[in-house]
Amino acid sequence: MSESSSSPTRCEYTYAFLLIRLWLGLRALFAGLEKFEKGGSYSFTAYYENMGRMAAGITGASFLPLWATKLFAMSIGYLLIVVGVTLLLGIKTRLTLLAHGLLYVALSFGLMLVQEGEGVAWLGMHVALVIGGLLLVQHNRLALVRD
Amino acid sequence: MSDLPSSLFTRRDFLSTSAKLGAFIAAAPYVARGADGTGSDQVNVAVIGCGEQGRILINAALKIPGVRFKAVCDIWPVNRNYAENILKKFGHDPKPFEDYRELLATVKDIDAVIIATPDFKHAEHTVAAHKAGKHVYCEKLMSNTVEGARSMVVAARESKKLLQLGHQRRSNPRYQHAKDKIVTGNRLLGRITNITGEWHRAVSADLGFPAGKGLSDAKLAEYGYANMHEFRNWRWFKKYAGGPMSDLGAHQIDVYNWMLGVNPRTCMASGGVDYYKTHEWYDNAIAIFEYPTTEGIVRATYNVLTTTSAGGGYHEYFMGDEGALKISENPKATKLYREARAPEWDEWTTKGVVAAPLSGEGAPPPVKPWEKVGVKKLGGPSKATVDVRETAALSAWDIPVTLDKAIHQPHLENFFDAIRKGTPLNCPGESAFATAVTILKINEAVAAQKTLTFAPGDFIA
Repeated sequence: MSESSSSPTRCEYTYAFLLIRLWLGLRALFAGLEKFEKGGSYSFTAYYENMGRMAAGITGASFLPLWATKLFAMSIGYLLIVVGVTLLLGIKTRLTLLAHGLLYVALSFGLMLVQEGEGVAWLGMHVALVIGGLLLVQHNRLALVRD
Repeated sequence: MSDLPSSLFTRRDFLSTSAKLGAFIAAAPYVARGADGTGSDQVNVAVIGCGEQGRILINAALKIPGVRFKAVCDIWPVNRNYAENILKKFGHDPKPFEDYRELLATVKDIDAVIIATPDFKHAEHTVAAHKAGKHVYCEKLMSNTVEGARSMVVAARESKKLLQLGHQRRSNPRYQHAKDKIVTGNRLLGRITNITGEWHRAVSADLGFPAGKGLSDAKLAEYGYANMHEFRNWRWFKKYAGGPMSDLGAHQIDVYNWMLGVNPRTCMASGGVDYYKTHEWYDNAIAIFEYPTTEGIVRATYNVLTTTSAGGGYHEYFMGDEGALKISENPKATKLYREARAPEWDEWTTKGVVAAPLSGEGAPPPVKPWEKVGVKKLGGPSKATVDVRETAALSAWDIPVTLDKAIHQPHLENFFDAIRKGTPLNCPGESAFATAVTILKINEAVAAQKTLTFAPGDFIA
């Protein structure tokens, strides 16, 4: 069997990146949306309650001040929705992937401080997928706004 | 012949009513004193026996308003001084005594005596206190002999003074709720068929005493002790105590009798000194009872070990055809279970009779402070079915009542309320006598190595 026949084709790289893009995009979008949910209904009130609890919880178990955790918590939901939508639509994909990675690193940092090992590992897998996406982003097709 | 149907007024009712009436009559002068404004709610108290249990009772009673300690008595200066000093720290000025007779003869303004001496002294001290006109709160087991226990009931009756025994679970609001709202009141367990209970304690070393602080042989002999080792470790010797069934089992088997509302009709038991070289009383014993309830026989086992804490610590476990109650003085070891075949308990949750668990067995996975509340999580892998005959799992529930005081405090409060207001005692002498008879029969059954039978009259002092 020749070497060229066993190497992935350009088409396969494209599909691989598309899968990563869809997965990460949907994941970020719904991770952002679920922060607006409480008791089965979605609202801004629920968002601020959920995120207030998260901020207070992290501050209570770490050295991070409440203003810092609140600032992050109150923006994370909106940011996830934005990066989720932009990745799905293919808007500035490289930049969007980088933003994804940074958001997950920031979330991991909070969980590292409260010694939430499982959560850190879970987010680590997200970061690994983002890295995979960045390595394959040159094969990006179907983008609305190219880099 | 009475017109009352026997089912409406049983001997138990009679004893219960008599005890309540007796409590009110005995307390009448104190009720009057409070009512006419000439006195106060202060109850003057003496403590006879200031060892480990005496100190627990002192600490619990110190939290009760209106209790004034006037005297403490212990033959060992170490105990006596400790009790005197701790009471002085809390603003009391108790007179110390070595001999209870001198205490009773000297301090005249005492209303009640708390007795926490070794079991073999309970009858002597209680009878003397009653004869001196005092109400008595005495630690369990009532006595190490049936005769001793009977003499205490008779003394209380003749003196018309209150006698409360230290089976403190009867005043624990969680136990009261379990009895009144779960077992008896709403019959959530259905037909109770079986009870198991246990108290397992890890190996412990014999108690010693500080160098130079021992009592002389003459002093020990004067008060009935062979030597300082036996004085310090009286629970292990037959002359002074009833053994671990009396020390530990008495609390829990009392709950069997109390919760079922009947006394047992038979007892068989096995036990031995299997581990310790320095004990006379057994360190491993098992008793089996048959209780003749109105719904049928309830079989009960009780196991006491002083060689291991394995097996779940200490609890009483009532099992019925619709539910089960595992109850312990330790709230963490308390749980209520509903059989899959029983009606749902939503109604009882609404009424505050039972509660869905918030922690421990049956509770949803804990939510961390930073996690969103109310997220449904996937369950873990389901348990493998090991046998096709295995029945559906029971659902776990909690009792929505907690005790936020020292465990002996409500029972002491009940005693002082009985003195002040005529509140019925939760464990009067007559009732505790039945428990003492039950417990002491176990030791008889261990020795006899056969099933022994109780006559109904055995439980009446």
